[in-house]
Amino acid sequence: MANVRLVNLTKQYKRGAEVIHALDDVTLDIEKGEFVAVVGRSGSGKTTMLDLMGLLLRPTSGSLFIDDIDTSKLGDRQLAQMRARRVGFVFQEYNLLSGLNVLENVMLPLRYVKDGRKRGAPRAVELIERVGLSDRVRHRPTELSGGQAQRVAIARSMVNSPSLILLDEPTGAVDTETAQQLVDLLKRLNQEDRVTIVIVTHDLDIAGQASRQIRLKDGRVLTDERVGAAGAGSLGVPVA
Amino acid sequence: MEVLRNVTRHKLRSFLTISGIVIGVLALTTMGALAENFNALLDGGVTYFGSNIQVGPPDGQSASLLPISKIDEIKQIDGVAAAFASYGFSAKPGQITAVSFGIPDTIVAGDPAENNWAALKTTFAQGHQLDASSTGQVVLGSTIDKEFAKKIGDTIDLPVKPSDAKPDFVNHAFTVVGILNPTRTAPDTFAYINVADGQTLLKDSLPVAIRDQIDVSKITEAINVYGKPGTSLSDLDKIADRINAQVPGVKAVRPSQLVNSFKSGGAIFTAITTAAALLALIIGGLSVVNTMFMAVAERVREIGLKKAVGATTFNIMGEFLVEATLIGIVGGVVGYGLGALITIIANATTPPGQSTLFLVTPNLTILAIGFATVLGAVAGVLPAWRAARLDPVTALRNE
Repeated sequence: MANVRLVNLTKQYKRGAEVIHALDDVTLDIEKGEFVAVVGRSGSGKTTMLDLMGLLLRPTSGSLFIDDIDTSKLGDRQLAQMRARRVGFVFQEYNLLSGLNVLENVMLPLRYVKDGRKRGAPRAVELIERVGLSDRVRHRPTELSGGQAQRVAIARSMVNSPSLILLDEPTGAVDTETAQQLVDLLKRLNQEDRVTIVIVTHDLDIAGQASRQIRLKDGRVLTDERVGAAGAGSLGVPVA
Repeated sequence: MEVLRNVTRHKLRSFLTISGIVIGVLALTTMGALAENFNALLDGGVTYFGSNIQVGPPDGQSASLLPISKIDEIKQIDGVAAAFASYGFSAKPGQITAVSFGIPDTIVAGDPAENNWAALKTTFAQGHQLDASSTGQVVLGSTIDKEFAKKIGDTIDLPVKPSDAKPDFVNHAFTVVGILNPTRTAPDTFAYINVADGQTLLKDSLPVAIRDQIDVSKITEAINVYGKPGTSLSDLDKIADRINAQVPGVKAVRPSQLVNSFKSGGAIFTAITTAAALLALIIGGLSVVNTMFMAVAERVREIGLKKAVGATTFNIMGEFLVEATLIGIVGGVVGYGLGALITIIANATTPPGQSTLFLVTPNLTILAIGFATVLGAVAGVLPAWRAARLDPVTALRNE
C-alpha cells in the first residue's frame, strides 16, 4: 500500500495573463517508511509538491491519495483533520510559537485532535526525550539554539503519530554539523517508527543520505532513483 | 492560558484597549444608574396613579378646591369602592430649586385608611401609622426624615419657615409618630398628616380676605378614587369617564393618561442617557477591532502554522474571538466596578434631604458587563474572520 500517491497531479498559478505550471502532471507513489529527498533548483516545484502533499494547497487537476484516501474529495474540515492526524510538518524557520515553552510547542497539534491533549501528553514528553531535549522542556524558543529549535519542530511534527512527515529545507538555517545531527535524528525516527519522510532540500549531501531521490525541473519529475544502501536504481521515471 | 499570554503580550496596547472599554462601561454604568434611579421614581408614579383616579376641580377653575360632599356623590358611581379627600402643601414654601431629580418635600394630608387601598404600599422603619382621629401627628418619609434628623417623639414645624418669611407666616408643630422605609419614589420626601390638620394648613394658605369666610372642613383640594382591588387600568378609565359624565363640578383624570405620561418621560430619559453611554462604549469597541486586527497582522505565521498542524477555520476564529471577548469581559468588569464605586460614593455624599441620584440594579449590572462582553466578541468577529481565512501557504512564508 502506497503511503502517498500522486496521480497526474498538476498545480497551476496565474500571474496576470501568464499561467505558471508549478507542478505539471506528476504521477508517483511513495511507500510507507520511505525516506525521500526532493531536490531541484528554485522554482522547480519542490515546495509546491510538498504543500500539495501536506494538503495546504489544492491541486488544479489530478488526484492525491494519502493512506489510500482520495484527498480531492475532502472538505476543508476533513483536510484539517487529515493534516492533524496523518501529516507532520517541519519548516526551515522552525515556526515555534514564542509564547509557548518546548513542551507546549510540541503539544500544539494535539489541540486539534479529539482528546489529543489527554492522550498526547505522554507522547510529547517521550518525543522530547527522543530528540534529546529532556532538560529543555520548560524553555522558551528564544532560549534554544537553531538545532535545538529544529528538534522541537521535529518532535512537534510527530506528536500525533502521523504516517508522513514533510520537511521543507529543515537544515537551511543551521550549520553543517548541526544539519548532519538533524538528518541522523530523522533517519533514526524513520527506522524506529517506520514513518515516511519527505524532505525538500538544496543540500545534495543530505539528499544523498535518503533512500530515494526525486529530482524536479519545471514542475516535472526529472529523475526518481533509489540511492544509498537501500538499493540504487531508477524507478522507471524517464530522465529528461 | 495562551489567550491570557496573547492579551498580555503587548501590555501597553492591551491596557489602552481595555481602558477604552472601561471608560465606555463606566459611562454606561453611571448614566444607566441615573436612568434607573429616575425610572424607579417614575415607576412609583405609575404604580400609584395606575391604581386610582385623581379627581380635581373642573378645567378653568384656578383654585384647587372642591366641596368635600363630592366624595359622597362619587361613591355612588358604579365601580367606585372608596374615595378619600386629599390635600397637598409644599413642606418648604419659598424654596427655589433650579434642577432636581427628586420630588420636592411635600406635606400630604389624607385618611390613613387610604394606605390600605393604594397600590404603592409604604412600610414603617420606626413607629406607626397616624391615629385616624388624632391631630398634630406626622409620619415622615425616609429622605425628609434624614434631612431634618428626626426620631420618633420629636417635633417638627410644618411647613418649614423660610429664612426670609414674613412676620405673619404660620406653621404648626407636629409630633413624629412614624418613619417610613425608603421607597425610592414619592413617599420618601412626603410628610403625612391627618385630614383635620390638612384642613388647618389649607386655611392658613388661603388669602386673609376670604380665610374666615370659608369652612375648610367642607373643602378638599382633591379626591382620590379607588375601584375594587384588582380593577384594571381600562376599567379605572371607564370609572373616570362615568364620574365626569355623572358628577358635575369635578374633573376626573383618566389614570391611563397619567401612567402613559410617566412612562414616556422615563423612556425618553433612559434613551438619552443610554444612547450617550452606548456611544462611548461603541467607540471603545472600535479600539478592540483595531487591536485585534493588529494582533492578526503580527501573528500571520502563527496562524499559518496552526492551520498546517490541523486547525480549522473555526479553531482559528474561536481563538481570536475568545481573545476579543476576554478584553470585553475585563473591560466590562473593571468599568462596571469603577462606575458602581462612583455611584456609591456619590450617593453616600448626597446631602441629607436630597434624593440620591444613582440606583445600580441587577439588570444594569447584567447590561453593563453583558454588553461589554458581547461588544468584545462582536468587535473580534471581523479580525477573527480575516485570520481564519488566511491562506496557510502564504501565511507560513510571511516575513
